[in-house]
Amino acid sequence: MLKWCSEPCARYMLGKGGKRKFDEHEDGLEGKVVSPTDGPSKVSYTLQRQTIFNISLMKLYNHRPLTEPSLQKTVLINNMLRRIQEELKQEGSLRPVFVTASQPADPLGDSFREAQPAFSHLAAQPLLPADLVSAAPLEACLTPASLLEDDAFCTSQTVQHDGPTKLPPPALQPVKDSFSSALDEIEELCPAPTSAEAVAVAAETAADDSKDHPSESSVQRPEGVPESRTAEPKLMDPLPGNFEITTSTGFLTDLTLDDILFADIDTSMYDFDPCTSATGAASKMAPVSADELLKTLAPYSSQPVTPNQPFKMDLTELDHIMEVLVGS
Amino acid sequence: MIPGFGNLMQDVLWCFSQVKGTIDIGVTEADIISTVEFNHTGELLATGDKGGRVVIFQREQESKQQPQRRGEYNVYSTFQSHEPEFDYLKSLEIEEKINKIRWLPQHNAACFLLSTNDKTVKLWKVSERDKRPEGYNLKDEDGRLRDPSMITTLRVPVLRPMDLMVEATPRRVFANAHTYHINSISVNSDYETYMSADDLRINLWNFEITNQSFNIVDIKPANMEELTEVITAAEFHPHHCNTFVYSSSKGTIRLCDMRASALCDRHAKFFEEPEDPSNRSFFSEIISSISDVKFSHSGRYVMTRDYLTVKVWDLNMENRPMETYQVHDYLRSKLCSLYENDCIFDKFECVWNGSDSVIMTGSYNNFFRMFDRNTKRDVTLEASRENSKPRAILKPRKVCVGGKRRKDEISVDSLDFSKKILHTAWHPSENIIAVAATNNLYIFQDKVN
Repeated sequence: MLKWCSEPCARYMLGKGGKRKFDEHEDGLEGKVVSPTDGPSKVSYTLQRQTIFNISLMKLYNHRPLTEPSLQKTVLINNMLRRIQEELKQEGSLRPVFVTASQPADPLGDSFREAQPAFSHLAAQPLLPADLVSAAPLEACLTPASLLEDDAFCTSQTVQHDGPTKLPPPALQPVKDSFSSALDEIEELCPAPTSAEAVAVAAETAADDSKDHPSESSVQRPEGVPESRTAEPKLMDPLPGNFEITTSTGFLTDLTLDDILFADIDTSMYDFDPCTSATGAASKMAPVSADELLKTLAPYSSQPVTPNQPFKMDLTELDHIMEVLVGS
Repeated sequence: MIPGFGNLMQDVLWCFSQVKGTIDIGVTEADIISTVEFNHTGELLATGDKGGRVVIFQREQESKQQPQRRGEYNVYSTFQSHEPEFDYLKSLEIEEKINKIRWLPQHNAACFLLSTNDKTVKLWKVSERDKRPEGYNLKDEDGRLRDPSMITTLRVPVLRPMDLMVEATPRRVFANAHTYHINSISVNSDYETYMSADDLRINLWNFEITNQSFNIVDIKPANMEELTEVITAAEFHPHHCNTFVYSSSKGTIRLCDMRASALCDRHAKFFEEPEDPSNRSFFSEIISSISDVKFSHSGRYVMTRDYLTVKVWDLNMENRPMETYQVHDYLRSKLCSLYENDCIFDKFECVWNGSDSVIMTGSYNNFFRMFDRNTKRDVTLEASRENSKPRAILKPRKVCVGGKRRKDEISVDSLDFSKKILHTAWHPSENIIAVAATNNLYIFQDKVN
């Protein structure tokens, strides 16, 4: 039983949250075999795939047995995850990569609408991967959090190299979904955490997920990246090298998560979770004073992280965060 | 109409015979039965449980006074086969749960069986003692030593009858040969060797040698991250001591010949059914994973159990099974839930009857299914306390899939997925079956006329 599934529909164990919105999709998920190519049923197929992906991740990482877990079960779940990731990758490679020469008028606004897919399973209307690309060219500049983790704050060269990398947007999705799934878990555990904390642990969990799970992180690496490393947003220019990644505004959600990822936040509450306890990745990063970051993010911490509220951030605030992260 | 045995014209009516185990509502985990096996004559029935215990039942002699009680099974011996252990290197417990019991054929008064948990196989000798020597010279009847200088006469000890005592002694312990969890053991037809299979390797043992085993199959990849398939079950051919089969989590069966090479990584035959594209889903691979593989008594066929079906394969036809039987196809639309609550990973076993004409396997809600291979008829029966009046005939059960539920039918949503019948056994020559339902062992027999 999913521990956070408290709704009566928990019997069907369709996914996290057990929120009523899921009832509408029960049939689509449980009923017929949905082919990825049908029109309207593509939504339910994607949703089903997403749910199964999340469940699979949960099974692999949220389980602390006293005895050795069954290798057969682990292998089957791994295969499931790999298959879904392959599908996502293939879908991503089929999509044209959009290139923009000019900066959208409100990059933040656009990007935050697009950032919502991370929480799409909570939203009433599931977003198709297609939506991500067609509506937000900036998506193409996104670098998965794992990459940020690995390269961003280690060497600026690496970052510069990878910064303007365009990645197939669906490659982002698994990361976001691990974020969102971990986020849900946190939400359930602690109904009203500060958004900073919740997001931190979620990021940590997801980052560790992507680290622990080799195939997952391999998808997130920029393999098969489309050549067109074009139009970086104008706002990249005045900023230092490794800022390139972070200025692609579609990232800001992730950026924020990563900010907090490196902070020294007390996660003892979540220590029982094997994912959050492995803070190896975070600890490698440049230490940032927790207070500083928290101060920076204080205006935002009052906002709960929900899909419907755009997580707006000023560019100046962004500058400040970057100074803190890079400067120290 | 219910599947029969042997004669096509005669249908079998299954009746309740006995039930072993407590009726408590709260089941102690240690009492959950994890394996059931008749010996080669059917006189003995062994069960293993999660607590590492083995209980052997013996069939009583049929008496003319009570022809109704056709050889009931009573407890013969109980012993603790395996104890829980701790792997200090990995900081993990090693479960004492008995995964499999296999009997050796009986040559003398004593019986031998192999029992295994995840890591260690043990050979147990079960023997009877009904006489004891009396009249020792050097010690009293109490066992106290006598002073030799006080002995003036000598006597010859004699054997006097005593109450029957059944003792089980571990004769061999075959340990430290498996890195992964043992899922199968199988005694070879030469009765000198046996094999043990774990997720990635199969080892061949000689009964006499415990400090050495030969690895005959190894599918571990050099890089564990590339692992996509594991061994799920293995069995020796009933007559050809060089042949064995093993099944995989991808729904394939490989037949190997040990004469070909020392390491049987290359199969002699490869059995796989092509995937049905109309039935493809996210869970296709998981439900194709084979949970049990059993040779027929004749040695001509192999039966495999995957999550939704039982298949009978002809050893001479590799590209598809000869017969496929749907166990509980109504679960096909529930796979997502079953994946979420882990039921999709349940490992159901399957058994042949003595004449290979009927096959049996378990399902949920304490249901079990029998398929008559000749008449193509099947029946669903239930192991429950409600149907447990002496010699009560079991009524066929039916699961209703559609909207209208008839009386006596049960709807799919009402099935109890915590009541699963994973382990069953069929007497080698008679219509007697043993069905393990969690912590209870049900014995059913065909109706006595």
